[in-house]
Amino acid sequence: MPRLKLFYRLIVRPLFREPIRLALMVLAVALGVAVVLAIDLAGNAAAGSFHSSMESLAGGNDLEVVAPGGAPESVVATLAEQPHPLRITPRMEDFAVDTRTQETLSLIGLDLIAEGSRYVSESGVAAEDSRNRQTIEESIQELEDPKSIWVSPSLGVKPGDHLKLLINDAVQDCIVRGVLPQSSANESVILMDIAAAQRALNRHGRVDRILIKLPENANIEEWRKKLSELLPAGVEVRPQGAGTQENRKMLAAFRWNLRLLSYIALVVGAFLIYNTISVSVVRRRPEIGIVRAIGAGRNEVLAAFLGEAVCLGLAGALIGVPLGRIMASGAVKLMAATVDSLYVSSRPGAIGLSWSSVALALAVGVGVAVASALSPAREAMQVSLTDAMAQGRREYIAQTHKGRDLIVAAILGALGAFAARMPAFAGKPMFGYLATILLIAAAAYAMPALVNFVSQLAAQALGKLLGVEALLASRSLAASLRRTSVLVAALATAVAMMVSVGIMVGSFRQTVVAWMNDQLPADLYLRPAGDPAADRHPTISVELPGKIAALPGVAAVNRLRAYEISYNGMPATLASVDLRVLRAYRNSNFFSGRPAAQVLGQLRGQNNVIVSEPFSYKHHVKAGDTIALSLGEYRASFRIVDVYCDYASERGYILMDRDVLLKYLPDPAPTNLAVFVAPSTDVDQVRKEIQEVAAGHRILIFSDRDLRKEAVRIFDRTFAITYALEAVAVVVAVMGIAGALIALVIDRRRELGLLRFLGAATGQIRKMILVEAGLLGLLANLAGFALGYFLSLILVFVINKQSFGWTIRFHWPFAVLLGALTVVYLATVISGLYPARVAARLNPLEVIHEQ
Amino acid sequence: MENDDLPEERAAVRRMAILSLQAVTKEYASEGQCVRALDGVSLEVSAGEFVALVGRSGCGKSTLLHVAGAMDFPSTGLVLIGDKNTSALNDAQQTELRREKVGFVFQSFQLLHTLTVQENVELPLLLAGNPAAREAALERLHWVDLDGLGARYPHQLSGGQMQRVAIARALAHSPRILLADEPTGNLDSTTGAAILDLLVRLTRERKTATIMATHSPEAAAVCDTLVRMRDGRIEEITRR
Ligand SMILES: Nc1ncnc2c1ncn2[C@@H]1O[C@H](COP(=O)(O)OP(=O)(O)OP(=O)(O)O)[C@@H](O)[C@H]1O
Ligand SMILES: [Mg+2]
Repeated sequence: MPRLKLFYRLIVRPLFREPIRLALMVLAVALGVAVVLAIDLAGNAAAGSFHSSMESLAGGNDLEVVAPGGAPESVVATLAEQPHPLRITPRMEDFAVDTRTQETLSLIGLDLIAEGSRYVSESGVAAEDSRNRQTIEESIQELEDPKSIWVSPSLGVKPGDHLKLLINDAVQDCIVRGVLPQSSANESVILMDIAAAQRALNRHGRVDRILIKLPENANIEEWRKKLSELLPAGVEVRPQGAGTQENRKMLAAFRWNLRLLSYIALVVGAFLIYNTISVSVVRRRPEIGIVRAIGAGRNEVLAAFLGEAVCLGLAGALIGVPLGRIMASGAVKLMAATVDSLYVSSRPGAIGLSWSSVALALAVGVGVAVASALSPAREAMQVSLTDAMAQGRREYIAQTHKGRDLIVAAILGALGAFAARMPAFAGKPMFGYLATILLIAAAAYAMPALVNFVSQLAAQALGKLLGVEALLASRSLAASLRRTSVLVAALATAVAMMVSVGIMVGSFRQTVVAWMNDQLPADLYLRPAGDPAADRHPTISVELPGKIAALPGVAAVNRLRAYEISYNGMPATLASVDLRVLRAYRNSNFFSGRPAAQVLGQLRGQNNVIVSEPFSYKHHVKAGDTIALSLGEYRASFRIVDVYCDYASERGYILMDRDVLLKYLPDPAPTNLAVFVAPSTDVDQVRKEIQEVAAGHRILIFSDRDLRKEAVRIFDRTFAITYALEAVAVVVAVMGIAGALIALVIDRRRELGLLRFLGAATGQIRKMILVEAGLLGLLANLAGFALGYFLSLILVFVINKQSFGWTIRFHWPFAVLLGALTVVYLATVISGLYPARVAARLNPLEVIHEQ
Repeated sequence: MENDDLPEERAAVRRMAILSLQAVTKEYASEGQCVRALDGVSLEVSAGEFVALVGRSGCGKSTLLHVAGAMDFPSTGLVLIGDKNTSALNDAQQTELRREKVGFVFQSFQLLHTLTVQENVELPLLLAGNPAAREAALERLHWVDLDGLGARYPHQLSGGQMQRVAIARALAHSPRILLADEPTGNLDSTTGAAILDLLVRLTRERKTATIMATHSPEAAAVCDTLVRMRDGRIEEITRR
């Protein structure tokens, strides 16, 4: 207890003497913790607890049978003929758009007649209208009616309502027959009879997935092998939920990178805590000496300052938790949109603030605080008794070893450069991350030398330019070199992150834009209405391409078809194009550099494919390799003739000739159409004609320009969260600067008071503090820019490449960087406003005679 | 006024008060209680006059200096510097007045450790926007016999040297009024005596009106005017 009292008197109470500074520090930690927590929670909701929307109504099975493009119904028959008590549930799984809300819903077709009774009794469907019991005939009629649907409660409709659903390119009027019981996953599902679903989707004779429930205590792996042997080669038997697992795996890299970005704000916070504790150690040197002289041990001194850090960390974390929860709601929307457009259809789950994530946030806050306080607290421990006698006439100037630190910086930098050259580890760019950490550390060590050098230059130049206030400001920064260096390091880290991510995103964007320009040779593109997603491939009615091709202004129509497949345990997209309608591409996008016509010519009628760069990178395949693909019930080998650049999706693409694909998967419906307008024909006119021909189909028509715009829009949305993270890191740093400047003002109050005696106007004092803020901002921008450049190289060429497999061309987004740096600079200067006011309001009479 | 020491001129100068305190009281309200630090103080100081301010600790010496230097303002009464009433000025005008007319010297020197000796001396001129700071500083350092030490930092000087720098700095802008608050208090007696001599000499040479708060008995011997204070009042003024 006496210890606690002492701790309160000597450590806690002084903190409250500068409430604004205390608040800024705690808030900085809180923001750091909040961001980490928010990204963690949002990631969990949007991707981490990823649960395919197709898993609705699929619980409790052991195996699933799938085939790219759908398994033929004969497979169901084969399974049903087995002399074992297997429960077999064939399903259609696709999507429908609710035309009221434009929301995309999972559409599931089940054999309701065959297992309706079981399903009804097990899950309680139709339980609510069991009171006004229908006749059996009526029920069966309803089940057979192709318009009948059953919906999840989240749609807010009741039995008897009509619902217009967009399925592929057609709107279908459906009648709600019942509301499904509330499922835990908060999903929106439309349930249909399987035959009705096949009809609605225009996919006769195939089912998307067959779920199998094995007898009790059966060995799943044994059964998997046994059933695989029974079924055609292309059909895969795997544990239920394997697809979900694959998707989760695919999302892992995305989450990893976001999570790491979220830690940057915390790193900035760590610098600030280090600074806060250093300041309090330096300030209280005489006090420490006195306390030691009257009986405190070294360890108690250490514990006291670590305790201060724990208090800051804990307070920050406690505020950070609710803040993080709030931020997560915003983040989850952005993340879900990105997951949808780049990876896989999903519906973000509810944000769950579990005790474990709260505990993690607290641990992170306190852990970071203690870790960053260790070194200054150890320094406090070293304070000798004689320091107590040092009558504080001259301020103790924290020791710095510029030269030694510079050598450490060089070594760390070299290690970082080395790490950047290492290959991916376990599919993750571990060494890339290590390289960024090493470079940030190197920059922190190089900071004292830089600050010293620049502030000396500045003292000369600025003194002439901005007057004596600037001279005083730069001198005072150089005098408290260590403090200044830590502050600059904190802000520089935030700036570096902003610059590096800015360059990475800017380069990426430029690369995508350039690629799009080569990529879209046709004039108009058509796809079914509804939000696009990486794994949804709704089809266009078969007859439509012919009708459009017959239009006078149309030179040719290319039919594209995409299927969602799984290759080597990773989701991928299999696509075909009609090579008879080949048009010249502007530039070669092929790794071989050969012209498109030559490469695509090799695909004609052959078992040859081209694959996208991410596919090649993920599966370690290159031109000349042979890959085995499952197509429907078949399994066939294809030779990769080339690899092409593709930035549209991170999931790998495999592209082949339409005729070849049709041999295996005879469904002729295309998913996209590319329309080539006849020379000297007005594109808008053709667009109108297509609209007329396509009346009755829900088709969206895009010009190449629209598509480019759309791609850029998706791109920007994808990176919106990155920008938000950067902004938080910068805010944390700027708050830290404000807090540190207040501390600097307090510690220099005697000097500031003296200046008033020497004839300084309050305006001059204010200007001096603002120049200090400006100098800090300038130093941080300079250092941050340099560090950011090197980090961007790692991001572009190491981390991005190793995480996603994209090759990005380096590009300076000048305007963005200039704008961002200006904003940071202004923010830093603005952060000096309050400390400047504090400085100007100091009563010179009071401070001049203080010891 | 370069050729001095004509008796009638000295008398005229004495009559021309540069600094005049008229029935000044200064009250501090601290913790509900009212402390009267100055209580009806009247004092006139003219160019070239060296005033020693003595009295027990807490009698109001520092307060008087602050009020006289327009760093603080009387609760009632008047402080005139030249013909300006310090209480009637706004913040900018007060600063202006201090810049032109007042120099301060402190017991604990109060040099800026981040600046060199010369830069410390230049400081008041630079703050006032005077471009010829360099030359003036060199000259002031010469006045206080510190030629050649301009490039040093304060911590490379002795206490006496530091106080000389502080005096040079206080005189940098040729103030009419020099206020020194126990300038010898932190020095040994020999050094203290040297500083006292220096202040007297400069007061004569530069025709400043100097008020020095002090506990040192030597000061009483060399001053033109001895002001003895007690409990915020002037107990006795001895002119010679
Ligand atoms: N800001 C203040 N608030 C309240 N009282 C004050 C304040 N400043 C000074 N005083 C009081 O005014 C009186 C005069 O103080 P002052 O500092 O002028 O004394 P002094 O003669 O300079 O003493 P010393 O020789 O110890 O320096 C003292 O009683 C002091 O307590
Ligand atoms: Mg005093």
